[in-house]
Amino acid sequence: MATVSVAASEQYNYDIVRKFAIMTLVWGAVGMLVGVYIASELAFPFLNFDIPYITFGRLRPVHTGAVIFGFGGSALFATSYYIVQRTCQARLFGGGLSTFTFWGWQTIIVLAALGDVLGYSQGREYAEMCWPIDLLIEVVWVAYLAVFVGTIMKRKQEHIYVANWFYLAFILATALLHTFNNLAVPISMFSLESYSLFSGAQDAMTQWWYGHNAVGFFLTAAFLGMMYYFVPKQAGRPVYSYRLSIVHFWALIFLYMWAGTHHLHWTAIPDWTSTLAATFSIMLLLPSWGGMINGIMTLSGAWEKLRTDPVMRFLIVSLSFYGMSTFEGPMMSLKDVNALSHYTDWTVGHVHSGALGWVAMISFGSLYHMIPRLWNTNMYSNKLINVHFWLATIGILLYITAMWISGIMQGLMWRAFDDFGNLQYSFVESVAAMHPFYVMRALGGVFFLSGMLLMCYNMFKTIKQGSAEPQTDAVAAAA
Amino acid sequence: MSQEQKSTVQTTGHVWDDDLREATNPLPNWWLWTFYITIIFAIVYWVLYPAWPIGKSFTKGMGNNISYTAKTVDGKEVQKSTHWNMRAKLMAEMNEAQAAQQKYVAKVAATPLADVPKDAELMQFVQSSGKTLFSDNCAACHQAGGQGKVGMAPNLVDDSWIYGGSYEKINETITNGRNGMMPAFHGVLTDEKITQVANYVLSLSGEPHNAEAAKAGDAIFHGEGGCLVCHGPDAKGNQDLGSANLTDKIWLWANVPAQSTPEGKLDEVRKVITAGVSRGKMPTWGGRLSAEQIKVLTVYVHDVLGGGK
Repeated sequence: MATVSVAASEQYNYDIVRKFAIMTLVWGAVGMLVGVYIASELAFPFLNFDIPYITFGRLRPVHTGAVIFGFGGSALFATSYYIVQRTCQARLFGGGLSTFTFWGWQTIIVLAALGDVLGYSQGREYAEMCWPIDLLIEVVWVAYLAVFVGTIMKRKQEHIYVANWFYLAFILATALLHTFNNLAVPISMFSLESYSLFSGAQDAMTQWWYGHNAVGFFLTAAFLGMMYYFVPKQAGRPVYSYRLSIVHFWALIFLYMWAGTHHLHWTAIPDWTSTLAATFSIMLLLPSWGGMINGIMTLSGAWEKLRTDPVMRFLIVSLSFYGMSTFEGPMMSLKDVNALSHYTDWTVGHVHSGALGWVAMISFGSLYHMIPRLWNTNMYSNKLINVHFWLATIGILLYITAMWISGIMQGLMWRAFDDFGNLQYSFVESVAAMHPFYVMRALGGVFFLSGMLLMCYNMFKTIKQGSAEPQTDAVAAAA
Repeated sequence: MSQEQKSTVQTTGHVWDDDLREATNPLPNWWLWTFYITIIFAIVYWVLYPAWPIGKSFTKGMGNNISYTAKTVDGKEVQKSTHWNMRAKLMAEMNEAQAAQQKYVAKVAATPLADVPKDAELMQFVQSSGKTLFSDNCAACHQAGGQGKVGMAPNLVDDSWIYGGSYEKINETITNGRNGMMPAFHGVLTDEKITQVANYVLSLSGEPHNAEAAKAGDAIFHGEGGCLVCHGPDAKGNQDLGSANLTDKIWLWANVPAQSTPEGKLDEVRKVITAGVSRGKMPTWGGRLSAEQIKVLTVYVHDVLGGGK
């Protein structure tokens, strides 16, 4: 099977990949812990303890920042640096530039969390960071782009592997989105506060153009890049269809950019923007599924691996959740469905079926494949990987089931009229009805977090028994 | 770069990282056709709804008009019909709800407050509408069942009323709001005298107190402190001023019942006398709720919550 090149450690810069891989684990644990805490705050509000720094409003962006940019971002840096080197047969471009992206990115995550806790926010979802942090992100991101493109340019392979298209699309689109969404004028040189360049509905539409494409390019395209490397690698099978990968890549890239306004259905935006967003979301369904088909069908002829290989199980189940949430998304973007789902927990459940089911599961699978290879060893315990898989799966199912029930219930309660033409329920009644489901959701989070911590332990033992130094031929070949 | 063929699958012939290959399978037919169907769906949607911008206008959508009744600035009702849009849809839905309510709202408007409870059907409407109105507008301060919260808002369920519990008074309170205040006595009376008055106030409710200090406090209450001007010589308060009855064992600002020690209770009362009360603000609902909604709320508070007099 796969043989690791003996000269790999000299040929490739694995040091930077190891750093990012470790921070992926750290931010995963931190971000999910904060997530479990705020989920518990919603179920049991006394957990605020009347301390402003740990109220839901401030910890929520800490959670999203730590899991999306800390966990997800570090996973993407790690895997993209790993994949681009191996599929281009070239050492990372730019010498110390990639090290700069590491320290820069980690600084950004810490500063963003500090800002959130202290109450500094520009009030844009997933872009809460104040302008000085935004500038730092800009610099680090351009350095990332330079490293990635530089490495592709000095490749020793004629063709660019499909995973790299997705990573490059993600880096370029994120640069574009981040830049335009954060255009703002600071109120003074010495203030963290700023005014957005856009106003009113245009501001909201800019924000959701960013917000939706952060999902589309950061959390979808980039992780598809991850999928396109680790699924065929782990399966030892060719990618199912080259043609499908081209068609769904360009369709995905083209269609995603139009869909963001569906986050603003039934608000003060022009009706035509709402319609376009809904229809482009519907047309996005099959291009999204292209990635799922290509990943799952890659396993055809090797289905038995699902029984025997827990890493494969992570990868394939993540694709199933990806398929499910990319079906759910277009449905929710239809105006009439959205009238029920908007502002309810259904949205929260949808996001998490993507974030936990797709993003986190594909990252887990990829890390289980990559980390032992980075440290020239095997996983400490395959059994624990299996336990992690079940903890994560149960956690996700509890989470999204709770949010489906509570979300649809909320939506129905808010719109219910009685025979007198009066609203049947007051808002607080709908809040009270959520309680059992908030408890259930927090429990789901506990399951998922336990799995994450188990993974950290398993990885710690693996890294401890391994070595970053190159091994003898015999050991390396056995990997 | 030689490639070792490990399977019979047809690949593009490119190999990356030792064993990454791509098979040449065609696009799955069902995938392609479902993709075409979503495009056709989108086109149909564009025909039906406002969709594409053209210059400063946009395509309006066909065969999907919405009719609704709108009120002009001078209160005239006008019938409108327009291409599908979110606002018109909202207006049409609001029209529907209003039509269902209209019969009862008109009846509420025509019935004197005190007669509303006598009409069983109308009371059903009050229960349904009042519950939501109360929960959405009042419960944030007065709490879900109207039991109030010490330090924030008075209990509406008990028989004690600060501004009066008749239909008229409750209606007046909701419509115009209230602005309860008590001056701070810090600097007016010495700390010792404030302690004495506090002992007297506690004695009125039969709470533990120092009898000697309470006697001195009695004198200050009716003399130097001038407390009787608002609270009355019998300390039973005055509903026209909104001054509290100090003898009914009901506390709004000093949380005496929550304190277990005599010192704690004394301290609660001392704090109120020292700092006065500036939080006794009830908002004006006149411009925010209609006269009929306020009438419904009045009856709801008076009869459904059951504290009215």
